[in-house]
Amino acid sequence: MSGLASGLDWLTGLHGYLAVAASLFVLGAVAVISRKNAIGVLLGVELMLNAAGLNFVIFSKYRTAAIDGQIVALFIIFIAAAEAAVALAIILRFYRLKHSMDASEANLLRD
Amino acid sequence: MTVGLKIVLAAAQILTVLSAVAVTFHPNILYASIALFFAFCGVAVMFVYAGADFLAGAQLIVYAGGVTILVLFAIMLTQWLYKSKLRDIRMRVVAPLALIAPALTYGLCVALRGLGDHVLKTTPANFEAFSSAPKTMPIGQALLTNYLLPFEAITILLLSALVGGVWLARPK
Repeated sequence: MSGLASGLDWLTGLHGYLAVAASLFVLGAVAVISRKNAIGVLLGVELMLNAAGLNFVIFSKYRTAAIDGQIVALFIIFIAAAEAAVALAIILRFYRLKHSMDASEANLLRD
Repeated sequence: MTVGLKIVLAAAQILTVLSAVAVTFHPNILYASIALFFAFCGVAVMFVYAGADFLAGAQLIVYAGGVTILVLFAIMLTQWLYKSKLRDIRMRVVAPLALIAPALTYGLCVALRGLGDHVLKTTPANFEAFSSAPKTMPIGQALLTNYLLPFEAITILLLSALVGGVWLARPK
């Protein structure tokens, strides 16, 4: 029982947050590499951005107890929103051109 | 924190990681993006516990409410949902990744653990009080004083992204 309680303490402390952020980042990177679907790649990028924002927030809490890390995370959210809008517009355009979502078919610039 | 609050946070963390696994490995992109919604909500709960209430709201509004809906729109507009060819994971890549990714996660966790131990040694005494204080006013003040230049730059970025998105997706 005490093992469970100490595990809960670990998970809800700094280290648990960092472990969650690390797994989010790696899962996002795997999605970026292994997905064929262009939207799947975008989902992976969003996961990685979220992991980075989470790390900024948690380190700003434990390291400085100041607001700055949260501001950076806020900017990450803004940039992710802009990136998602542009990426989806490009994906829709690509679909109109190729009638496919397969990112490996984007080879017009290849010789 | 009481035990009940800790259990809620741990549940949110586990939900986040499981949803991220579904985002990465679910063969159907529609279900993957719905799982992404739950991952975003889990991260929002973690933001609340980390003392970032304003960020949790922004996360819910922008990510869970905006980005997920946008992605769902794009999927619904472009894919014939019941077409059989929805498996889109490159199996040739997944096999080596399945070996590399756990090692990478472990290495990242070890590095972050060292960093975390170092940070915990220098944690300020007032961090619990900091994390329970409301953040809307300090964030607003910081955005209009110390962070005014990035704030203005981000407005231009958002405007040009919107205009560029509309221009890219225009009908022929």
